[in-house]
Amino acid sequence: MREETITRQTIADPRSHYGDAKASTRHFILQRLSGVSNIVFLLLLLFIVVSLAGEDRTDMVETVGNPLIGLPFALTLGILTLHMRNGMRDVLEDYFRGRTYRLYMMLNSLFCLIIALLGIGAILKLVFWG
Amino acid sequence: MTVRPRPLSPHLQIYRFTITMAMSIVHRATGIANYAGTALLVLWLLAAAWGPEPLEAVNGLYGSWIGQIILFGYTWSLVHHMLGGIRHYVWDFILGMEAGQREMLAWANLVASTLITLLIWTIFVWVA
Repeated sequence: MREETITRQTIADPRSHYGDAKASTRHFILQRLSGVSNIVFLLLLLFIVVSLAGEDRTDMVETVGNPLIGLPFALTLGILTLHMRNGMRDVLEDYFRGRTYRLYMMLNSLFCLIIALLGIGAILKLVFWG
Repeated sequence: MTVRPRPLSPHLQIYRFTITMAMSIVHRATGIANYAGTALLVLWLLAAAWGPEPLEAVNGLYGSWIGQIILFGYTWSLVHHMLGGIRHYVWDFILGMEAGQREMLAWANLVASTLITLLIWTIFVWVA
């Protein structure tokens, strides 16, 4: 595995656009904003789990299937998966580089996407089809 | 001349233990735990969408003693990570960064997350 050689000239030259200034700012802001959404998600989750833990399907459809609960829950779950992917990126950046990093990052995106699709799909099923 | 690529994190044991360091590590660890924990939530939702039998199976799994221990840990992990996130919002406004204040915030994070988790489980699981 061959890494690209980074010279001092590359770093000093603004035209080389070395580094991830925009991406890092976006990462920071996205993590802060999605974090706020996650607090809303946790309150919804607490309400849903407390009222439904161990209950049967009829109760699940009644509560999660209520659009006023199910739709915000699906939306905040989607935003939560962005926060997951973004947060895991921090960890991967610290411990891996090069192709290994890109491989793990791809698996990370895949996992978060699957969680989002299955979770939102299941909630929408309960909301629209019971 | 060439420069080496971005350094990776050094090993943890070279640092003197501090509570802020510990809470930073725990914030990352709880983040990873929550990452995995979403699979538990999605499994429950999928089972509910699927039908009564799968839901009953998942309820049985989560209601077992080992399931309850994992869910208790998941609750604490979520609460701790949320409070850790709020601590970061406080720091974003350049507050609570002085010596003493940051240690106090770190301890508060640990104590509050434990208390809130116990409160949630006492009110909604053990008493209800």
